[in-house]
Amino acid sequence: MKDTILSLQAVSKKINDKEIIKDIDFSIQRGEVLGFLGPNGAGKSTTLRMIVGLSRPTSGEIIVSGHSIQKDYVKAMSKVGAIIEGPDLYDYMTGYKNLEMLGAMSSNVTVKDIMSAVELVGMEHRIHDKVGTYSMGMKQRLGLAQALIHQPELLVLDEPTNGLDPQGIYEFREIIKNLATEKNISVLVSSHLIAEVQLMCDNVSIINQGEIIKNANVHELLSTGEVFWVVDRQEEACDFLNERYHIQGKCVDNRIEAVVDVSKLEVINASLIHAGFKLQYISAKNKTLEELFLSLTNQQGIM
Amino acid sequence: MRVGELMHALIRNEVLKILLKKKMVLILTLLILFISLFSYGQKYVYEQNLSRLEASTSSAGYDWKSLAKQQIGDLERRLNSPYIDEEGINSINIEIEQLNYFIENDINPVTPTAARFTVEFIDQAIIMFIPLLIIILAADIVSGELSNRTIKVLLTRAIPRWKILFSKLMALMIMSTLVVLLVAIISTLISGMFFGRWGFNEPVTTGFRLVNGSLNSSYVRTVSRVSYMILVYSLTWFVSVVIASITLMISVLVQNTASAIGIVMSTLIGGQFLQFFLSDWVLVKYFFVSNLSLTKYLTGNYQQIEGMSLIFSVIVLGVWAAVSLAVGFYVFLKKDILV
Repeated sequence: MKDTILSLQAVSKKINDKEIIKDIDFSIQRGEVLGFLGPNGAGKSTTLRMIVGLSRPTSGEIIVSGHSIQKDYVKAMSKVGAIIEGPDLYDYMTGYKNLEMLGAMSSNVTVKDIMSAVELVGMEHRIHDKVGTYSMGMKQRLGLAQALIHQPELLVLDEPTNGLDPQGIYEFREIIKNLATEKNISVLVSSHLIAEVQLMCDNVSIINQGEIIKNANVHELLSTGEVFWVVDRQEEACDFLNERYHIQGKCVDNRIEAVVDVSKLEVINASLIHAGFKLQYISAKNKTLEELFLSLTNQQGIM
Repeated sequence: MRVGELMHALIRNEVLKILLKKKMVLILTLLILFISLFSYGQKYVYEQNLSRLEASTSSAGYDWKSLAKQQIGDLERRLNSPYIDEEGINSINIEIEQLNYFIENDINPVTPTAARFTVEFIDQAIIMFIPLLIIILAADIVSGELSNRTIKVLLTRAIPRWKILFSKLMALMIMSTLVVLLVAIISTLISGMFFGRWGFNEPVTTGFRLVNGSLNSSYVRTVSRVSYMILVYSLTWFVSVVIASITLMISVLVQNTASAIGIVMSTLIGGQFLQFFLSDWVLVKYFFVSNLSLTKYLTGNYQQIEGMSLIFSVIVLGVWAAVSLAVGFYVFLKKDILV
């Protein structure tokens, strides 16, 4: 069943006559985790702010669960939970009071809803302490609970793992994945870290200078087909690969780089070893974000 | 029904925020401190006058009429001072006329009582101290959410923005009302403890009018202290609401609480200077700060600038509040939250 939870249609945003977001389109299906990837200043945060109602598009339309955010704000927003740039909550209240207060702002949020959100993010033990005493990781959990108490269909997370330690990042990621698979919540998560997006998301939209430059499946996008081998007798190995598989290898530093069909790697490696090369290391290279951008912007230039 | 419940919840949230920030503790402390100081001061001055009277008349008896007459004598001596200017002479003459009226009509204006202190305190406090308390309440109502960045969780709820700001306004109104009530209660209690006299049933004269620089007592009415107090505190409440509205607008316009407090406070202080130095300038009387002394109109010997009256000031303040709220709501609705 294809069920679009969020769609942006030709959305633009001008601030002080400067076009920050240029005519972007993308959509998220139910239960999909979409990574929103881009360097700092690309317009990620601006776009997310428009989706959660903190900012208004200059033109275009944003539709959440069938409700236009401009025309039917309340209905659209009742389906959205968000953490935008850090989980900023009221320091002088307990975590529970925060949730209770924010819960009262939505229709029919019960104490049970609040407690189940608290349990989901694993904050049962500290929920009655003041938020001012929380660590960054706990604040982030509370931030997530805050975004979930009203049972949204769309979760918008802006750089959610900033400031978390590796353990915290791992746990946060697991919670998000579970929400998508078990509760069928759609998640839009922005990041400038490709590794994070890779681990969390199904699909990715890449934004640069206010434009979406690519919508794609994460794994397809990242696999470059570029492989490198570290072997002894580089030149010979290069010739060997060329003769046997017509691979145009290049010797760079201590390694051979080439573009191959990744699915054939196992056979190639076996034959390399069979031919007596001492194979130290092989890696199918994923693109770094920088390279991805460069390649994408180049592509655009040609098209 | 549902709508009313939601608004109720929103207002409760906002009141809760103000309470949990412990602002009322600060306000209460300030009130108790200042009122104790002023009460003590007034008691001290009164006792000094009394002992002077006893020394000069060498009678230990207590008689407010002689005390009032002594005050008239003091004032007349000041009239003969060569350094006094035209305005000074006028206001002293008015004071003397009033005292004479009190003596003739057997109304005791001298002995300090709790009820009188509570009103006189407001005469002084309404231009600066009361606005200050309201600023403490109101300055961070929006700017605080911006600088703590909590505005993001507040505005990503399924609630139109005007309702959020409206709930904040209502919370301010509730808390301002509470502050005004507290001022009345605390000043009555503390000064009552100092003076030992409550004086709720004493008559008060109101309605003196200035006609060509001299006092006209033909409009004078006598009311009880309690009803006079209610009148004075209603005017104080009105001033508080106006200050709250103006502060709310400033709080929407600026990015942090310090700026909001700075702007409103400097406007208040600057406004006092303005009416002191530029009282001839016709625009000054349309400035809200020049119109805050509503209670002084009641005694009649007050006219800051030609053409100002109680009605005039109430209208000017009302317009300022309405415009501030309109600007505040407009900006809040249009604002892109970028924190």
